[in-house]
Amino acid sequence: MSSSREKILAAARANKPDEKPLPIVPDFGGDDSTERFTQVLTSIGGQVVWIDGPEQLQPVLKQLYPESRLSASPLFPGTVPVDALTSTEVLADVDLAVLPGEMGVAENGCIWLPEANMLHRALPTITQHLVLVLDHRRIVATMHQAYAQLPSTGGYGAFVAGPSKTADIEQSLVIGAHGARSLVVLLY
Amino acid sequence: MNHATRAAKFVGDADRTTWHDETLWFVRAKRDKAVYAVPEFQDLRELASQIKDHTLSKLDTYLEQFEEQAKRNGVHIHWAADAAEHNAIILDIIRQHNATRVVKSKSMLTEECHLNPHLLSNGIEVVDTDLGERIIQLRDEAPSHLVLPAIHLKKEDVGETFFKHLGTAKGEVDPQVLTEAARQHLRARFLAAEVAISGVNFAVAETGGVVVCTNEGNADLGVNLAHVHIAAMGIEKLIPRLSDLAVFTRLLARSATGQPVTTYTSHYTKPAAGKEMHIVIVDNGRTKQLGRPDFRASLKCIRCGACMNTCPVYRRSGGHSYDFTVPGPIGAILSPNIDMKKHSSLPFASTLCGSCSDVCPVKIDIHTQLYKWRQVLGEANEIPASKKWSMKLMGRLLTSPKAFGVGGKLARHGIKYLPYSLTHARHFNVWAVARELPTPPKQSFREWYQQQANTTA
Ligand code: SF4
Repeated sequence: MSSSREKILAAARANKPDEKPLPIVPDFGGDDSTERFTQVLTSIGGQVVWIDGPEQLQPVLKQLYPESRLSASPLFPGTVPVDALTSTEVLADVDLAVLPGEMGVAENGCIWLPEANMLHRALPTITQHLVLVLDHRRIVATMHQAYAQLPSTGGYGAFVAGPSKTADIEQSLVIGAHGARSLVVLLY
Repeated sequence: MNHATRAAKFVGDADRTTWHDETLWFVRAKRDKAVYAVPEFQDLRELASQIKDHTLSKLDTYLEQFEEQAKRNGVHIHWAADAAEHNAIILDIIRQHNATRVVKSKSMLTEECHLNPHLLSNGIEVVDTDLGERIIQLRDEAPSHLVLPAIHLKKEDVGETFFKHLGTAKGEVDPQVLTEAARQHLRARFLAAEVAISGVNFAVAETGGVVVCTNEGNADLGVNLAHVHIAAMGIEKLIPRLSDLAVFTRLLARSATGQPVTTYTSHYTKPAAGKEMHIVIVDNGRTKQLGRPDFRASLKCIRCGACMNTCPVYRRSGGHSYDFTVPGPIGAILSPNIDMKKHSSLPFASTLCGSCSDVCPVKIDIHTQLYKWRQVLGEANEIPASKKWSMKLMGRLLTSPKAFGVGGKLARHGIKYLPYSLTHARHFNVWAVARELPTPPKQSFREWYQQQANTTA
């Protein structure tokens, strides 16, 4: 074992204060309505569109993205088949990714997207536009409730809240930094 | 050069100082709005503070637990006692893969360790991918803020930089156009990168995973395309349980920029099939700070930047005036731990107004610690003699009512007769460099108070 490991652990052991208790974090309750979720997500640059059910997916997408040529999705046969081994060159051309969201959080508009729902880990950020499909009954109020429902985070997973954005140039908000330029949540 | 001298350069441009001040205050105001929208915000601060206190009190145990879990997940764990070891480990991993193209997402730890110059001098191309970081990298500057690295620059500055380096039109200042240019430029780097380096916002002992928070998605894009992911993590990033993330993710972005949450809150737990993930666990002075009871709470910092956005001194002196990786109030606590001599002026770069402690999401007693550093520095003889003697004199004056009364009388009557060359002698009275002396009042407070007592009696 490396000597730095031993050195660091020994110093931490020697220098740490007396043990302090780990607090119990309460569930603060809160508003888990779709209205709240929609309002917050819209305020951070996302868009919510209601659909009747997953079977309505393709006509709605045609309407929303008439220009899209290269789509990838586990929910319908897209034009680009993507899996964990798809090459960067192929991924780079995808302009629309349609992925199932697992859970939404009303207080901040984010959606939990586990690796299993992504086809490839890079797909949600390399695509030009991202659509997440979410069952409105899977919206919880706060992050406490969200993490309470996650037994583990798998190999990789992300809470995604809106499209990629930056405010690094004079604090002016610009949507579409490196990741997806837009985010639409299809609620059913 | 001390903080005041460096700040003098910044405040030389009055318009820019005002603009800097207002821009950061705007962020502070957004923070307030976001915070007031969460009824339990103060409870969350208390919980976050307690969780961090608890973690620090069992840091060795949690580090071991984290390592064990991460290894079980197939992650390679490395330990670095200092910056040099951190840099050597990372270079070694890159070399093992015969890689030369590296993308990096924002990490203050790699800044602290000066990783970029080390990699560059060893023939590795390392590109910062956070937009603000990329801007300052092209300009060969250091970040001037924890979460807004290029906050000291105007869009004209960025336009000029991109004109020079990215070929945008001369005089282009539209943030939208400039960001699009950076997007295209960086996308090519993302696609070509063999290794991706990221920082760590939180490390979960229970799962062995690390969490990275960004708005741009640059960490995810880099890490998920490259073959190797290296995460650089300070030992203080640990939290015990996955569920603790609920507390911290509710606090971080709201405190930092007033957003409800960062766009991406990404959990990296296992490498993707056929790929590699490394975590470098770094001390670099942190265990030493843990051993200083007065200052160990500074290790609870989650690097949100709220204390700088609210600090009247930071807002008017700019991040570069601190000449330390972490500027502002928290930087002024962390820096003397690293080098007491070099950073001895930083704990004095504060009004001790307490605004920093008021906004800190993990309830660090920032202004108290700044005050305590001043005592430590005084005892260690690390403050300038003029400051030390004038403070001693003042202390004596203030503890003796009689001397204070006499001194006040002398000052009230004396000032008007003193020659300007004496009251404004540059080395003698720095306070008067940019100020006029007030007109002395006719009466002292004590005299006035006596008079009031007599008339109302
Ligand atoms: S000290 Fe507190 S307010 Fe300042 S950056 Fe750290 S967590 Fe934020």
